[in-house]
Amino acid sequence: MSSVIPYLLGGVALWVLGLHALLLQPSALRRIMAVNVMGSGVFMVMVALGSRNSPIDPVLQALVVTGLVVAASATAFALRLATAGPYEEPDEQDDSAQGRP
Amino acid sequence: MSAALLSLLIPLVTALLLLLLRSRAGGLVILANAVTLGCAATALYQVIGAGSQRLDIGDWEAPLGIRFELGPLTACLLVFTALVHLLVAVYAERSRHSQTRDTDFWPLSCLLHASLGALWLSRDLFNWYVTLELLGLVAVAMVILSGRKAHAPALRYLLLSLAGSLCYLLGVALLYGQYGVLDIHLLADAATDDRVTRVALLLLTLGLMLKAALWPLHQWLPNAHAAAPTAVSALLSALVVKGPLFILWMLWDNIAPPDLARQAGVVFALAGVAALVAGGWAALRTPWIKVLVAYSTVAQLGYALMALGLLLHWQDPTLSTALWLFVIAHGLAKVSMFLAAGEMQGTLGSRRVSALKGASQTMPVAMFAFVVAGGSLVGLPPSGGFVAKWVLLQPLLIQPSHWPWALGVVLGTLASAAYVFRVVAIAFDRADPNRPDYHPDVSAQWLAMLPALVVWAMALVSEPAIRWFAEVGL
Repeated sequence: MSSVIPYLLGGVALWVLGLHALLLQPSALRRIMAVNVMGSGVFMVMVALGSRNSPIDPVLQALVVTGLVVAASATAFALRLATAGPYEEPDEQDDSAQGRP
Repeated sequence: MSAALLSLLIPLVTALLLLLLRSRAGGLVILANAVTLGCAATALYQVIGAGSQRLDIGDWEAPLGIRFELGPLTACLLVFTALVHLLVAVYAERSRHSQTRDTDFWPLSCLLHASLGALWLSRDLFNWYVTLELLGLVAVAMVILSGRKAHAPALRYLLLSLAGSLCYLLGVALLYGQYGVLDIHLLADAATDDRVTRVALLLLTLGLMLKAALWPLHQWLPNAHAAAPTAVSALLSALVVKGPLFILWMLWDNIAPPDLARQAGVVFALAGVAALVAGGWAALRTPWIKVLVAYSTVAQLGYALMALGLLLHWQDPTLSTALWLFVIAHGLAKVSMFLAAGEMQGTLGSRRVSALKGASQTMPVAMFAFVVAGGSLVGLPPSGGFVAKWVLLQPLLIQPSHWPWALGVVLGTLASAAYVFRVVAIAFDRADPNRPDYHPDVSAQWLAMLPALVVWAMALVSEPAIRWFAEVGL
Protein backbone atom coordinates (compact mmCIF):
# COMPACT_ATOMS: atom_id res chain seq x y z
CA MET A 1 0.00 0.00 0.00
CA SER A 2 2.65 2.52 1.06
CA SER A 3 4.56 1.96 -2.18
CA VAL A 4 1.53 3.29 -4.06
CA ILE A 5 1.29 6.59 -2.19
CA PRO A 6 4.08 8.44 -4.10
CA TYR A 7 2.32 7.59 -7.35
CA LEU A 8 -1.04 8.75 -6.02
CA LEU A 9 0.46 12.03 -4.83
CA GLY A 10 2.36 12.41 -8.10
CA GLY A 11 -0.84 11.92 -10.06
CA VAL A 12 -2.73 14.49 -8.01
CA ALA A 13 0.19 16.91 -8.33
CA LEU A 14 0.16 16.53 -12.12
CA TRP A 15 -3.58 17.13 -12.16
CA VAL A 16 -3.25 20.32 -10.10
CA LEU A 17 -0.33 21.49 -12.24
CA GLY A 18 -2.35 20.95 -15.40
CA LEU A 19 -5.37 22.78 -14.00
CA HIS A 20 -3.17 25.69 -12.91
CA ALA A 21 -1.67 25.99 -16.38
CA LEU A 22 -5.07 25.68 -18.07
CA LEU A 23 -6.42 28.58 -16.04
CA LEU A 24 -3.40 30.87 -16.41
CA GLN A 25 -1.78 30.19 -19.79
CA PRO A 26 -3.02 32.39 -22.63
CA SER A 27 -1.67 30.33 -25.55
CA ALA A 28 -4.03 27.74 -27.03
CA LEU A 29 -1.29 25.14 -27.53
CA ARG A 30 -0.16 25.41 -23.92
CA ARG A 31 -3.73 25.06 -22.70
CA ILE A 32 -4.21 21.91 -24.79
CA MET A 33 -1.01 20.53 -23.28
CA ALA A 34 -2.26 21.50 -19.83
CA VAL A 35 -5.42 19.44 -20.35
CA ASN A 36 -3.25 16.50 -21.38
CA VAL A 37 -1.13 16.86 -18.25
CA MET A 38 -4.33 16.84 -16.20
CA GLY A 39 -5.40 13.68 -18.00
CA SER A 40 -2.07 11.98 -17.32
CA GLY A 41 -2.45 12.84 -13.65
CA VAL A 42 -5.88 11.20 -13.47
CA PHE A 43 -4.65 8.11 -15.32
CA MET A 44 -1.67 7.83 -12.96
CA VAL A 45 -4.01 7.97 -9.95
CA MET A 46 -6.19 5.27 -11.53
CA VAL A 47 -3.28 2.96 -12.36
CA ALA A 48 -1.85 3.44 -8.86
CA LEU A 49 -5.21 2.64 -7.27
CA GLY A 50 -5.50 -0.46 -9.43
CA SER A 51 -2.09 -1.79 -8.38
CA ARG A 52 -2.77 -1.65 -4.64
CA ASN A 53 -3.69 -5.34 -4.40
CA SER A 54 -2.50 -8.34 -6.32
CA PRO A 55 -3.76 -9.46 -8.73
CA ILE A 56 -3.97 -5.98 -10.24
CA ASP A 57 -7.54 -4.69 -10.68
CA PRO A 58 -8.26 -5.01 -14.44
CA VAL A 59 -11.33 -2.72 -14.32
CA LEU A 60 -9.26 0.38 -13.62
CA GLN A 61 -6.83 -0.51 -16.39
CA ALA A 62 -9.73 -0.88 -18.78
CA LEU A 63 -11.01 2.53 -17.68
CA VAL A 64 -7.58 4.07 -18.29
CA VAL A 65 -7.43 2.60 -21.80
CA THR A 66 -10.88 4.02 -22.58
CA GLY A 67 -9.85 7.34 -21.11
CA LEU A 68 -6.71 7.42 -23.25
CA VAL A 69 -8.75 6.90 -26.41
CA VAL A 70 -11.07 9.75 -25.45
CA ALA A 71 -8.14 12.01 -24.53
CA ALA A 72 -6.29 11.32 -27.78
CA SER A 73 -9.30 12.07 -29.98
CA ALA A 74 -10.22 15.18 -28.01
CA THR A 75 -6.64 16.45 -28.28
CA ALA A 76 -6.63 15.91 -32.03
CA PHE A 77 -9.87 17.88 -32.34
CA ALA A 78 -8.58 20.70 -30.11
CA LEU A 79 -5.33 20.94 -32.10
CA ARG A 80 -7.26 21.23 -35.34
CA LEU A 81 -9.39 24.01 -33.85
CA ALA A 82 -6.37 25.83 -32.45
CA THR A 83 -4.36 25.73 -35.68
CA ALA A 84 -7.21 27.09 -37.80
CA GLY A 85 -5.70 30.55 -37.33
CA PRO A 86 -7.04 33.83 -36.06
CA TYR A 87 -10.21 35.37 -37.40
CA GLU A 88 -11.11 39.05 -37.63
CA GLU A 89 -14.73 39.84 -36.85
CA PRO A 90 -16.41 41.73 -39.72
CA ASP A 91 -18.51 43.93 -37.48
CA GLU A 92 -19.21 46.69 -40.00
CA GLN A 93 -22.18 44.86 -41.46
CA ASP A 94 -23.98 45.09 -38.14
CA ASP A 95 -23.24 48.72 -37.61
CA SER A 96 -24.44 49.59 -41.09
CA ALA A 97 -27.63 47.66 -40.38
CA GLN A 98 -28.04 49.94 -37.39
CA GLY A 99 -28.19 53.11 -39.37
CA ARG A 100 -30.32 51.80 -42.21
CA PRO A 101 -33.56 53.69 -42.82
CA MET B 1 -36.74 -1.88 -22.69
CA SER B 2 -36.34 -2.81 -26.36
CA ALA B 3 -38.25 0.32 -27.42
CA ALA B 4 -35.90 2.46 -25.31
CA LEU B 5 -32.87 0.74 -26.84
CA LEU B 6 -34.31 1.36 -30.30
CA SER B 7 -34.69 5.05 -29.48
CA LEU B 8 -30.95 5.03 -28.72
CA LEU B 9 -29.90 2.92 -31.72
CA ILE B 10 -31.94 4.56 -34.49
CA PRO B 11 -30.16 7.95 -34.25
CA LEU B 12 -26.79 6.18 -33.95
CA VAL B 13 -27.39 4.04 -37.05
CA THR B 14 -28.74 7.05 -38.95
CA ALA B 15 -25.62 9.06 -38.10
CA LEU B 16 -23.33 6.24 -39.24
CA LEU B 17 -25.35 5.78 -42.44
CA LEU B 18 -25.14 9.48 -43.28
CA LEU B 19 -21.38 9.42 -42.68
CA LEU B 20 -20.86 6.25 -44.72
CA LEU B 21 -23.00 7.35 -47.65
CA ARG B 22 -21.54 10.89 -47.49
CA SER B 23 -25.11 12.08 -47.57
CA ARG B 24 -26.45 15.12 -45.75
CA ALA B 25 -30.14 14.41 -46.29
CA GLY B 26 -32.26 16.24 -43.76
CA GLY B 27 -35.39 14.31 -44.71
CA LEU B 28 -33.84 11.03 -43.55
CA VAL B 29 -32.95 12.56 -40.18
CA ILE B 30 -36.47 13.94 -39.74
CA LEU B 31 -37.87 10.50 -40.50
CA ALA B 32 -35.44 8.87 -38.05
CA ASN B 33 -36.34 11.42 -35.38
CA ALA B 34 -40.05 10.76 -35.87
CA VAL B 35 -39.54 6.99 -35.55
CA THR B 36 -37.35 7.57 -32.49
CA LEU B 37 -40.08 9.69 -30.96
CA GLY B 38 -42.50 6.82 -31.53
CA CYS B 39 -40.11 4.35 -29.86
CA ALA B 40 -39.55 6.67 -26.91
CA ALA B 41 -43.30 7.12 -26.51
CA THR B 42 -43.72 3.33 -26.57
CA ALA B 43 -41.04 3.02 -23.89
CA LEU B 44 -42.87 5.61 -21.77
CA TYR B 45 -46.12 3.71 -22.26
CA GLN B 46 -44.42 0.48 -21.14
CA VAL B 47 -43.02 2.17 -18.04
CA ILE B 48 -46.47 3.53 -17.17
CA GLY B 49 -47.88 0.02 -17.52
CA ALA B 50 -45.14 -2.19 -16.12
CA GLY B 51 -42.90 0.07 -14.03
CA SER B 52 -39.11 0.51 -14.21
CA GLN B 53 -37.02 -1.96 -16.17
CA ARG B 54 -33.34 -2.86 -15.96
CA LEU B 55 -31.02 -4.29 -18.54
CA ASP B 56 -27.62 -5.84 -17.86
CA ILE B 57 -25.74 -5.36 -21.11
CA GLY B 58 -24.44 -8.67 -22.46
CA ASP B 59 -25.91 -10.43 -19.40
CA TRP B 60 -22.96 -9.31 -17.32
CA GLU B 61 -24.24 -8.43 -13.91
CA ALA B 62 -23.07 -5.40 -11.96
CA PRO B 63 -20.46 -4.68 -10.55
CA LEU B 64 -18.55 -5.96 -13.59
CA GLY B 65 -21.23 -5.33 -16.20
CA ILE B 66 -22.82 -2.03 -17.20
CA ARG B 67 -26.44 -1.54 -16.33
CA PHE B 68 -29.11 0.45 -18.17
CA GLU B 69 -32.23 1.42 -16.33
CA LEU B 70 -35.47 2.71 -17.80
CA GLY B 71 -37.38 4.54 -15.08
CA PRO B 72 -40.21 7.10 -15.30
CA LEU B 73 -37.85 10.06 -15.55
CA THR B 74 -35.59 8.40 -18.12
CA ALA B 75 -38.61 7.55 -20.28
CA CYS B 76 -39.90 11.14 -20.09
CA LEU B 77 -36.46 12.50 -20.95
CA LEU B 78 -36.17 10.14 -23.94
CA VAL B 79 -39.49 11.44 -25.26
CA PHE B 80 -38.44 15.04 -24.57
CA THR B 81 -35.10 14.59 -26.36
CA ALA B 82 -36.71 12.98 -29.41
CA LEU B 83 -39.40 15.67 -29.54
CA VAL B 84 -36.90 18.53 -29.38
CA HIS B 85 -34.73 16.89 -32.02
CA LEU B 86 -37.72 16.41 -34.31
CA LEU B 87 -38.90 20.02 -33.94
CA VAL B 88 -35.41 21.43 -34.48
CA ALA B 89 -34.73 19.12 -37.45
CA VAL B 90 -37.91 20.21 -39.21
CA TYR B 91 -36.95 23.86 -38.68
CA ALA B 92 -33.36 23.27 -39.79
CA GLU B 93 -34.52 21.62 -43.00
CA ARG B 94 -37.17 24.20 -43.78
CA SER B 95 -35.68 27.56 -42.81
CA ARG B 96 -33.29 29.41 -45.06
CA HIS B 97 -31.65 31.16 -42.08
CA SER B 98 -30.64 28.07 -40.14
CA GLN B 99 -27.29 27.74 -42.04
CA THR B 100 -27.57 23.99 -41.65
CA ARG B 101 -28.83 22.66 -44.99
CA ASP B 102 -26.39 20.22 -46.58
CA THR B 103 -23.94 20.52 -43.72
CA ASP B 104 -22.57 18.14 -41.12
CA PHE B 105 -25.37 19.29 -38.84
CA TRP B 106 -27.40 16.19 -39.75
CA PRO B 107 -25.05 13.37 -38.72
CA LEU B 108 -23.86 15.40 -35.72
CA SER B 109 -27.39 16.03 -34.45
CA CYS B 110 -28.07 12.28 -34.70
CA LEU B 111 -24.89 11.56 -32.72
CA LEU B 112 -25.96 14.11 -30.14
CA HIS B 113 -29.33 12.41 -29.90
CA ALA B 114 -27.71 8.99 -29.41
CA SER B 115 -25.26 10.20 -26.74
CA LEU B 116 -28.08 11.87 -24.81
CA GLY B 117 -30.14 8.68 -24.99
CA ALA B 118 -27.20 6.69 -23.62
CA LEU B 119 -26.71 9.26 -20.86
CA TRP B 120 -30.34 9.09 -19.71
CA LEU B 121 -30.26 5.27 -19.70
CA SER B 122 -26.88 4.75 -17.99
CA ARG B 123 -26.53 4.14 -14.28
CA ASP B 124 -22.77 3.73 -14.21
CA LEU B 125 -20.27 6.46 -13.30
CA PHE B 126 -17.75 5.60 -15.99
CA ASN B 127 -20.36 5.13 -18.68
CA TRP B 128 -21.54 8.63 -17.82
CA TYR B 129 -17.98 9.89 -18.30
CA VAL B 130 -17.95 8.42 -21.81
CA THR B 131 -21.37 9.88 -22.69
CA LEU B 132 -20.30 13.26 -21.27
CA GLU B 133 -17.23 13.28 -23.50
CA LEU B 134 -19.30 12.28 -26.51
CA LEU B 135 -21.77 15.02 -25.73
CA GLY B 136 -19.01 17.61 -25.31
CA LEU B 137 -17.16 16.68 -28.49
CA VAL B 138 -20.32 16.57 -30.61
CA ALA B 139 -21.52 19.88 -29.16
CA VAL B 140 -18.23 21.61 -30.00
CA ALA B 141 -18.26 20.14 -33.49
CA MET B 142 -21.75 21.55 -33.95
CA VAL B 143 -20.73 25.01 -32.71
CA ILE B 144 -18.07 25.34 -35.43
CA LEU B 145 -20.65 24.68 -38.17
CA SER B 146 -21.20 28.43 -38.30
CA GLY B 147 -17.70 28.95 -39.65
CA ARG B 148 -14.36 30.42 -38.64
CA LYS B 149 -15.79 33.06 -36.35
CA ALA B 150 -16.97 30.33 -33.99
CA HIS B 151 -13.55 28.69 -33.63
CA ALA B 152 -12.37 30.75 -30.65
CA PRO B 153 -15.48 30.23 -28.47
CA ALA B 154 -15.57 26.59 -29.58
CA LEU B 155 -11.97 25.99 -28.50
CA ARG B 156 -12.67 27.62 -25.16
CA TYR B 157 -15.78 25.46 -24.77
CA LEU B 158 -13.83 22.32 -25.69
CA LEU B 159 -10.97 22.98 -23.25
CA LEU B 160 -13.28 23.83 -20.34
CA SER B 161 -15.43 20.83 -21.17
CA LEU B 162 -12.34 18.58 -21.14
CA ALA B 163 -11.19 20.10 -17.84
CA GLY B 164 -14.67 19.44 -16.41
CA SER B 165 -14.54 15.83 -17.60
CA LEU B 166 -11.11 15.27 -16.05
CA CYS B 167 -12.32 16.77 -12.79
CA TYR B 168 -15.24 14.34 -12.93
CA LEU B 169 -12.94 11.44 -13.84
CA LEU B 170 -10.65 12.08 -10.85
CA GLY B 171 -13.73 11.98 -8.62
CA VAL B 172 -14.81 8.69 -10.23
CA ALA B 173 -11.31 7.25 -9.67
CA LEU B 174 -11.41 8.20 -5.97
CA LEU B 175 -14.88 6.68 -5.50
CA TYR B 176 -13.84 3.48 -7.28
CA GLY B 177 -10.67 3.32 -5.21
CA GLN B 178 -12.75 3.61 -2.05
CA TYR B 179 -15.70 1.31 -2.83
CA GLY B 180 -14.67 -0.81 -5.83
CA VAL B 181 -17.97 -0.31 -7.70
CA LEU B 182 -19.17 2.10 -10.38
CA ASP B 183 -22.87 1.28 -10.50
CA ILE B 184 -24.85 4.10 -8.89
CA HIS B 185 -27.21 1.80 -6.97
CA LEU B 186 -24.38 -0.34 -5.55
CA LEU B 187 -22.53 2.86 -4.63
CA ALA B 188 -25.66 4.17 -2.92
CA ASP B 189 -25.71 1.05 -0.71
CA ALA B 190 -21.98 1.16 0.03
CA ALA B 191 -21.39 4.90 0.46
CA THR B 192 -20.39 6.16 3.88
CA ASP B 193 -19.63 9.63 5.18
CA ASP B 194 -15.84 9.86 5.07
CA ARG B 195 -13.26 12.27 3.78
CA VAL B 196 -12.54 10.49 0.50
CA THR B 197 -16.24 10.42 -0.41
CA ARG B 198 -16.53 14.13 0.34
CA VAL B 199 -13.50 15.06 -1.77
CA ALA B 200 -14.74 12.82 -4.59
CA LEU B 201 -18.20 14.39 -4.47
CA LEU B 202 -16.64 17.86 -4.55
CA LEU B 203 -14.61 16.97 -7.65
CA LEU B 204 -17.58 15.33 -9.38
CA THR B 205 -19.75 18.34 -8.59
CA LEU B 206 -17.23 20.90 -9.84
CA GLY B 207 -16.73 19.00 -13.08
CA LEU B 208 -20.44 18.62 -13.71
CA MET B 209 -21.23 22.22 -12.77
CA LEU B 210 -18.65 23.41 -15.26
CA LYS B 211 -20.18 21.22 -17.98
CA ALA B 212 -23.76 22.20 -17.12
CA ALA B 213 -22.81 25.92 -17.02
CA LEU B 214 -24.21 26.30 -13.52
CA TRP B 215 -23.36 29.61 -11.85
CA PRO B 216 -20.51 30.57 -11.15
CA LEU B 217 -18.96 28.27 -13.77
CA HIS B 218 -21.11 29.51 -16.68
CA GLN B 219 -18.71 31.96 -18.36
CA TRP B 220 -18.13 29.84 -21.45
CA LEU B 221 -21.82 29.34 -22.28
CA PRO B 222 -23.11 32.65 -23.71
CA ASN B 223 -20.39 33.01 -26.37
CA ALA B 224 -20.42 29.36 -27.38
CA HIS B 225 -24.22 29.14 -27.65
CA ALA B 226 -24.54 32.49 -29.40
CA ALA B 227 -21.79 31.69 -31.93
CA ALA B 228 -23.43 28.45 -33.09
CA PRO B 229 -25.96 28.27 -35.93
CA THR B 230 -29.52 28.85 -34.72
CA ALA B 231 -30.68 25.24 -34.80
CA VAL B 232 -27.54 24.18 -32.91
CA SER B 233 -27.98 26.89 -30.27
CA ALA B 234 -31.47 25.56 -29.66
CA LEU B 235 -30.22 21.99 -29.19
CA LEU B 236 -27.32 23.08 -26.96
CA SER B 237 -29.46 25.19 -24.64
CA ALA B 238 -32.40 22.81 -24.54
CA LEU B 239 -30.59 19.50 -24.16
CA VAL B 240 -26.80 19.47 -23.84
CA VAL B 241 -26.51 21.37 -20.55
CA LYS B 242 -29.23 19.14 -19.05
CA GLY B 243 -27.13 15.96 -19.37
CA PRO B 244 -24.56 16.88 -16.69
CA LEU B 245 -27.41 18.21 -14.56
CA PHE B 246 -29.03 14.75 -14.68
CA ILE B 247 -25.81 13.10 -13.44
CA LEU B 248 -25.39 15.74 -10.74
CA TRP B 249 -28.93 15.10 -9.51
CA MET B 250 -28.43 11.32 -9.59
CA LEU B 251 -25.18 11.54 -7.63
CA TRP B 252 -26.43 13.82 -4.89
CA ASP B 253 -29.77 12.13 -4.63
CA ASN B 254 -28.21 8.66 -4.29
CA ILE B 255 -24.75 8.68 -2.77
CA ALA B 256 -24.43 11.91 -0.80
CA PRO B 257 -24.42 11.40 2.99
CA PRO B 258 -27.51 13.21 4.42
CA ASP B 259 -25.44 15.57 6.63
CA LEU B 260 -23.31 16.70 3.72
CA ALA B 261 -26.38 16.96 1.48
CA ARG B 262 -28.08 19.34 3.90
CA GLN B 263 -25.05 21.63 4.04
CA ALA B 264 -24.36 21.49 0.31
CA GLY B 265 -28.05 22.06 -0.43
CA VAL B 266 -27.87 25.59 0.95
CA VAL B 267 -24.85 26.34 -1.24
CA PHE B 268 -26.58 24.97 -4.35
CA ALA B 269 -29.77 26.92 -3.63
CA LEU B 270 -27.85 30.16 -3.06
CA ALA B 271 -25.88 29.58 -6.26
CA GLY B 272 -29.24 29.10 -8.00
CA VAL B 273 -30.53 32.46 -6.75
CA ALA B 274 -27.25 34.09 -7.77
CA ALA B 275 -27.59 32.53 -11.24
CA LEU B 276 -31.12 33.87 -11.59
CA VAL B 277 -30.04 37.39 -10.69
CA ALA B 278 -26.66 37.48 -12.47
CA GLY B 279 -27.95 35.75 -15.62
CA GLY B 280 -31.02 37.98 -15.72
CA TRP B 281 -28.91 41.10 -15.28
CA ALA B 282 -26.48 40.09 -18.03
CA ALA B 283 -29.41 39.31 -20.36
CA LEU B 284 -30.78 42.75 -19.64
CA ARG B 285 -27.51 44.48 -20.52
CA THR B 286 -26.21 42.64 -23.59
CA PRO B 287 -26.58 44.31 -27.01
CA TRP B 288 -26.85 41.00 -28.96
CA ILE B 289 -30.07 39.02 -29.45
CA LYS B 290 -28.66 35.52 -29.22
CA VAL B 291 -26.40 36.37 -26.28
CA LEU B 292 -29.53 37.59 -24.49
CA VAL B 293 -31.22 34.24 -25.07
CA ALA B 294 -28.05 32.39 -24.00
CA TYR B 295 -27.82 34.38 -20.74
CA SER B 296 -31.45 33.53 -20.16
CA THR B 297 -30.35 29.85 -20.18
CA VAL B 298 -27.81 30.63 -17.44
CA ALA B 299 -30.56 32.31 -15.44
CA GLN B 300 -33.11 29.54 -15.94
CA LEU B 301 -30.61 26.87 -14.92
CA GLY B 302 -30.65 28.77 -11.62
CA TYR B 303 -34.19 27.51 -10.98
CA ALA B 304 -33.07 23.92 -11.53
CA LEU B 305 -30.08 24.46 -9.25
CA MET B 306 -32.30 26.02 -6.61
CA ALA B 307 -34.72 23.08 -6.80
CA LEU B 308 -31.77 20.69 -6.45
CA GLY B 309 -30.40 22.61 -3.47
CA LEU B 310 -33.71 22.79 -1.62
CA LEU B 311 -34.35 19.13 -2.42
CA LEU B 312 -31.08 18.23 -0.71
CA HIS B 313 -31.45 20.71 2.12
CA TRP B 314 -34.92 19.57 3.17
CA GLN B 315 -34.54 15.97 1.89
CA ASP B 316 -37.89 16.50 0.16
CA PRO B 317 -38.23 14.18 -2.88
CA THR B 318 -41.20 16.08 -4.36
CA LEU B 319 -38.76 18.81 -5.40
CA SER B 320 -37.17 16.39 -7.87
CA THR B 321 -40.40 16.71 -9.83
CA ALA B 322 -40.05 20.49 -9.77
CA LEU B 323 -36.46 20.23 -11.01
CA TRP B 324 -37.34 18.05 -14.00
CA LEU B 325 -40.45 20.02 -14.87
CA PHE B 326 -38.22 23.10 -15.00
CA VAL B 327 -35.78 21.30 -17.24
CA ILE B 328 -38.44 20.13 -19.70
CA ALA B 329 -40.37 23.42 -19.71
CA HIS B 330 -37.16 25.42 -20.14
CA GLY B 331 -35.94 23.13 -22.90
CA LEU B 332 -39.08 23.53 -25.01
CA ALA B 333 -39.38 27.27 -24.36
CA LYS B 334 -35.71 27.83 -25.16
CA VAL B 335 -35.94 25.98 -28.48
CA SER B 336 -38.74 28.31 -29.47
CA MET B 337 -36.91 31.39 -28.26
CA PHE B 338 -33.65 30.55 -30.08
CA LEU B 339 -35.42 29.64 -33.31
CA ALA B 340 -37.50 32.83 -33.20
CA ALA B 341 -34.42 34.92 -32.35
CA GLY B 342 -32.40 33.31 -35.13
CA GLU B 343 -35.19 33.80 -37.63
CA MET B 344 -35.59 37.47 -36.73
CA GLN B 345 -31.84 38.08 -36.72
CA GLY B 346 -31.51 36.45 -40.15
CA THR B 347 -34.42 38.31 -41.69
CA LEU B 348 -33.72 41.71 -40.14
CA GLY B 349 -30.03 41.45 -41.01
CA SER B 350 -28.53 42.39 -37.68
CA ARG B 351 -27.49 40.60 -34.52
CA ARG B 352 -28.34 43.54 -32.27
CA VAL B 353 -31.33 43.64 -29.94
CA SER B 354 -32.04 47.20 -31.11
CA ALA B 355 -32.63 45.86 -34.64
CA LEU B 356 -35.85 44.25 -33.39
CA LYS B 357 -37.50 47.67 -33.49
CA GLY B 358 -41.00 47.23 -34.84
CA ALA B 359 -40.62 43.45 -35.15
CA SER B 360 -44.15 42.99 -33.82
CA GLN B 361 -45.26 44.54 -37.10
CA THR B 362 -42.70 43.19 -39.57
CA MET B 363 -42.36 39.66 -38.17
CA PRO B 364 -45.41 39.15 -35.96
CA VAL B 365 -45.32 35.33 -35.80
CA ALA B 366 -41.67 35.07 -34.76
CA MET B 367 -42.12 37.84 -32.21
CA PHE B 368 -45.22 36.11 -30.87
CA ALA B 369 -43.25 32.84 -30.55
CA PHE B 370 -40.53 34.70 -28.65
CA VAL B 371 -43.06 36.22 -26.27
CA VAL B 372 -45.02 32.99 -25.74
CA ALA B 373 -41.78 31.17 -24.91
CA GLY B 374 -40.77 34.09 -22.71
CA GLY B 375 -44.09 33.80 -20.90
CA SER B 376 -43.23 30.26 -19.92
CA LEU B 377 -39.75 31.33 -18.77
CA VAL B 378 -41.29 34.07 -16.64
CA GLY B 379 -43.78 31.50 -15.33
CA LEU B 380 -47.12 32.89 -16.48
CA PRO B 381 -49.99 30.44 -15.95
CA PRO B 382 -50.92 28.04 -17.49
CA SER B 383 -47.48 27.37 -19.07
CA GLY B 384 -45.05 24.57 -18.22
CA GLY B 385 -42.80 27.10 -16.48
CA PHE B 386 -45.69 28.06 -14.21
CA VAL B 387 -46.41 24.43 -13.26
CA ALA B 388 -42.75 23.83 -12.38
CA LYS B 389 -42.62 26.98 -10.28
CA TRP B 390 -45.85 25.99 -8.54
CA VAL B 391 -44.42 22.59 -7.55
CA LEU B 392 -41.27 24.32 -6.30
CA LEU B 393 -43.33 26.77 -4.25
CA GLN B 394 -45.52 24.09 -2.60
CA PRO B 395 -43.15 23.24 0.30
CA LEU B 396 -42.44 26.96 0.72
CA LEU B 397 -46.17 27.62 1.16
CA ILE B 398 -46.77 24.68 3.51
CA GLN B 399 -43.85 25.36 5.88
CA PRO B 400 -43.84 28.98 7.08
CA SER B 401 -40.16 28.74 8.06
CA HIS B 402 -39.25 28.14 4.43
CA TRP B 403 -40.66 31.41 3.11
CA PRO B 404 -37.36 33.33 2.66
CA TRP B 405 -36.58 31.09 -0.31
CA ALA B 406 -39.73 32.38 -2.02
CA LEU B 407 -37.82 35.64 -2.32
CA GLY B 408 -35.37 33.84 -4.63
CA VAL B 409 -38.26 32.73 -6.85
CA VAL B 410 -39.65 36.28 -6.91
CA LEU B 411 -36.24 37.69 -7.85
CA GLY B 412 -35.91 35.13 -10.62
CA THR B 413 -39.36 35.91 -11.96
CA LEU B 414 -38.67 39.64 -11.96
CA ALA B 415 -35.34 39.16 -13.73
CA SER B 416 -36.89 36.93 -16.44
CA ALA B 417 -39.79 39.33 -16.88
CA ALA B 418 -37.31 42.20 -17.25
CA TYR B 419 -35.35 40.72 -20.14
CA VAL B 420 -38.44 39.37 -21.92
CA PHE B 421 -40.14 42.77 -21.67
CA ARG B 422 -36.97 44.51 -22.82
CA VAL B 423 -37.36 42.72 -26.15
CA VAL B 424 -41.14 43.19 -26.21
CA ALA B 425 -40.84 46.93 -25.60
CA ILE B 426 -38.40 47.33 -28.50
CA ALA B 427 -40.53 45.15 -30.77
CA PHE B 428 -43.64 47.23 -30.15
CA ASP B 429 -41.85 50.47 -30.98
CA ARG B 430 -43.67 50.74 -34.31
CA ALA B 431 -42.90 54.38 -35.09
CA ASP B 432 -39.87 53.62 -37.25
CA PRO B 433 -39.72 49.85 -37.77
CA ASN B 434 -36.50 48.23 -38.97
CA ARG B 435 -37.36 46.89 -42.45
CA PRO B 436 -36.51 43.21 -43.10
CA ASP B 437 -33.75 42.41 -45.62
CA TYR B 438 -35.83 39.61 -47.08
CA HIS B 439 -39.44 38.74 -47.32
CA PRO B 440 -40.14 37.12 -43.89
CA ASP B 441 -40.47 33.34 -44.07
CA VAL B 442 -43.83 32.71 -42.39
CA SER B 443 -43.73 28.92 -42.25
CA ALA B 444 -40.29 28.96 -40.57
CA GLN B 445 -41.68 31.38 -38.00
CA TRP B 446 -44.55 28.99 -37.31
CA LEU B 447 -42.03 26.18 -36.86
CA ALA B 448 -40.32 28.34 -34.25
CA MET B 449 -43.69 28.78 -32.60
CA LEU B 450 -44.47 25.03 -32.25
CA PRO B 451 -42.28 24.22 -29.20
CA ALA B 452 -43.74 27.23 -27.38
CA LEU B 453 -47.23 25.89 -27.98
CA VAL B 454 -46.10 22.48 -26.67
CA VAL B 455 -44.77 24.07 -23.48
CA TRP B 456 -48.09 25.82 -22.89
CA ALA B 457 -49.88 22.52 -23.55
CA MET B 458 -47.68 20.93 -20.84
CA ALA B 459 -49.98 22.43 -18.23
CA LEU B 460 -52.75 20.13 -19.47
CA VAL B 461 -50.82 16.89 -18.94
CA SER B 462 -48.69 17.90 -15.99
CA GLU B 463 -51.16 17.09 -13.22
CA PRO B 464 -51.34 13.35 -13.94
CA ALA B 465 -47.58 13.40 -14.54
CA ILE B 466 -46.92 15.02 -11.14
CA ARG B 467 -49.20 12.50 -9.42
CA TRP B 468 -47.48 9.65 -11.22
CA PHE B 469 -44.02 10.89 -10.24
CA ALA B 470 -45.18 11.30 -6.63
CA GLU B 471 -46.55 7.76 -6.66
CA VAL B 472 -43.71 5.79 -8.24
CA GLY B 473 -40.77 8.15 -7.69
CA LEU B 474 -38.36 9.21 -10.40
